Amino acid sequence: MKPSIYENSRDVFLDTVNAKDYIQLERVSTIYQSLKDSIEKPLKMVLLYGKPGTGKSMFLSKLHQNLTPSQKVCLYKTPILDENEFFKILAQDLYGISYEGELNFTQFIKVVENKELVGTTIPLILLDEAQLYSTPMMEKIRLLSDTRKVKFVIALHKTEKEDIIAKEHFQTRIWESIKLENASTSELKIYIQKKLMKANCIDTASMFTQKSINLVHKLTDGNYRDVNKLIYTLFDIYVFYANNNPNKINTSEISTKFIEMSAIHTGLIDA
Amino acid sequence: MLNINDLEARHKKYKIKSYAPYFVIFASTTIIVVSITSFILYNSKIEADIKEEQKQPVIVQKIEVVSATKEKNETLQEVEQKTVQEEAEPVTAKEDIKAEQKQEKVSLSPSLDFMGKMGSNNQVYYKKEPIGAAQELPKEITIDVKQEEKKQEEKIVPKKVEKAEEVTVNLDKKTPINIARKDEQEDISYVIKRFETNHNPALSLFIAKKYYQLGNYEQAYNYALMTNEINNNIEERWIIFTKSLVKMGKKEKAVETLKKYISHSSSSQAKQLLDEILSGKFK
Repeated sequence: MKPSIYENSRDVFLDTVNAKDYIQLERVSTIYQSLKDSIEKPLKMVLLYGKPGTGKSMFLSKLHQNLTPSQKVCLYKTPILDENEFFKILAQDLYGISYEGELNFTQFIKVVENKELVGTTIPLILLDEAQLYSTPMMEKIRLLSDTRKVKFVIALHKTEKEDIIAKEHFQTRIWESIKLENASTSELKIYIQKKLMKANCIDTASMFTQKSINLVHKLTDGNYRDVNKLIYTLFDIYVFYANNNPNKINTSEISTKFIEMSAIHTGLIDA
Repeated sequence: MLNINDLEARHKKYKIKSYAPYFVIFASTTIIVVSITSFILYNSKIEADIKEEQKQPVIVQKIEVVSATKEKNETLQEVEQKTVQEEAEPVTAKEDIKAEQKQEKVSLSPSLDFMGKMGSNNQVYYKKEPIGAAQELPKEITIDVKQEEKKQEEKIVPKKVEKAEEVTVNLDKKTPINIARKDEQEDISYVIKRFETNHNPALSLFIAKKYYQLGNYEQAYNYALMTNEINNNIEERWIIFTKSLVKMGKKEKAVETLKKYISHSSSSQAKQLLDEILSGKFK
């Protein structure tokens, strides 16, 4: 096989959040569907949580991409920590109103309350990494959603704070929470192979036997981010050997040694 | 850019590390298995040796026991005869002995208190002996004999009669040495009974030692063997066993046994004894 094949395969696993790289997995699509359903319901807020690398950001970007044609959707991948800035950006994105001076919460909520809905759909705001928002800020977001003029989908790591948010502030609210989890072995196999197939790397996709998938799952615990990192390094190693020592490459299956080497490199194995 | 050489070296190290526990487990299990098998083989070898040793003597032992009891009966009769001779009375039937006892009762009455004291003194030493019976012994000599005579069919009876006879003789002579000897005899028979019930190797060893002290080397040999059947790791048992063999004139067998034992254990006592036997110091 040419080194370029390995290079292409490697680049597939660059850890980027891009909706077009979204891999449709059975469980993920079910969760996606339930998320879409809960958005359509008159829920004020939806909580999306899970460990880092379980695909929350990917979920939000996919949702953003899919909903943009049909309704007003704003995605904020990084939290806007300054309160004044946050409301100004929201006013700009939701209603096209730009404020020169300060815009505090009281002013903004008045704006929101006075706005008439365009059509029947409520504008949707997607907030990624929401664990970084302060508790008073979260409280203001809740009050905003109480106006029923704007809807929030909040994605955050499952931290202690997430529990506080869920328990103290929003327990009595209408609140949908969706948990994202790491991939199972079979999901991982589909994920890797689909990802490679999408980039036309059929040869490398067929090299992933159940044995190598099991090893990858064992090393990464099914965490998508770790999987991406590991397989990126794995194909980087393949690129090196294809260029320098092609005899060492077994084209029928992924070498366990190379997987372990990439795990050592990425720090998944402490050696 | 990846540093593949470094990565390969690290991978090698990781592989060695990951196989290390398996290697350790494998090595330890093989060591355990080898040691267990060698231990079993070693034990079976000892057992085989001992069985070889025992094969012939076992039959002899039984015969000896039987003959010994016969001898005992004979000696009992002899003793009876002797006592009768001393008393200058005709000795034919046991009823005569009963009559004798009655006569003795009269003649011995002054020294009964002395016996009582002796008896109670000895009781302190033999704790487990039924105290009441022993303490009352001097007073009830005649009664005992009568009761025992009723149970003449039992084998133990002649022994007791003999003891009673001995007591009478001893009392006549009033020699404390004889009383001590009587105690040893009684002691041995009592310990034999205890041994028959609980098969404690310590008891059989004790019996073997006692017999050895008394000069009954065949019995000492027998009980040393019995001890061995129960527990073959008692050093003293081997010593008594080989000493008895030497005393019985089987010096070669004694030396052979002792050598075998020394090869299994590093008993200094056994080595010393072997030296003594070989040099002729111990005969």
